[in-house]
Amino acid sequence: METFELKVAEQQGTLAVMEVAGYINNEGGEAVAKEARKLLDAGHRTLLLDLKATRIINSIGISLLLEVLERTIEVQGALAFCCLTPSIAKTFQIMGLSQYTRIFPDRTSALAELLPAQ
Amino acid sequence: MAKPVRVRLVLPRVARAELLASRAVEEAGQRIAFPRDTLAEVKLAVVEACLNALEYGAGDVEVEVVAHPNDARAWIEVAVVDHGPGFDPSTVTRPVLEDKLRSKRKRGWGLELIRRLMDEVEITSEPGRTKIRMIRRRGGE
Repeated sequence: METFELKVAEQQGTLAVMEVAGYINNEGGEAVAKEARKLLDAGHRTLLLDLKATRIINSIGISLLLEVLERTIEVQGALAFCCLTPSIAKTFQIMGLSQYTRIFPDRTSALAELLPAQ
Repeated sequence: MAKPVRVRLVLPRVARAELLASRAVEEAGQRIAFPRDTLAEVKLAVVEACLNALEYGAGDVEVEVVAHPNDARAWIEVAVVDHGPGFDPSTVTRPVLEDKLRSKRKRGWGLELIRRLMDEVEITSEPGRTKIRMIRRRGGE
């Protein structure tokens, strides 16, 4: 039931792409936050979370994503998302996340936008 | 006239129990051909209500899902009941992202999401019984 999986799918320059699948709850959110910390500590500054295979994020998972956002802001980096389901997009809109993150419809458009900026 | 689809369950106190309620909403919603994207929003609201009940409540967490098929605008009604100490919903402040980013406590989004994802939300709470009743209509906001 909604098995969680996380993979660092791409690392190009200071950009890293994390593919997240399944339910982002406290455990999933912790896993994302831990991997994000590792990537930022390793020098990456732009993190793209590909949520193509994520159907639901609960509010605890959201709070952990905010920790990732806070950390990227601290290192003057950027957090971006792509491939959001309509309900996750609405959740982010309710929270006002688009003010602080970049949101793309798909990974291709995200990479086209984020890579040249490095 | 088709009868409403009614599902009742008591959540076990195990990890991811809230997803059982989400699954019940999905099953009931699919039986009345509720739009998938709208149903996904109802599922998230129900997950949040169940998380609150499991975290702050005590005893059984009871969930009832009723999917009404035949009205001009089909609708789904969900009630989540817990038996914890209760709370005063009027004292729950609305979260502001800017403040949350500056704060160590980044949680506190559940009730806001429930209110924004559903068309109607009614919270009744007293010591020993808290009930969140919520409705989402086809074509609602």
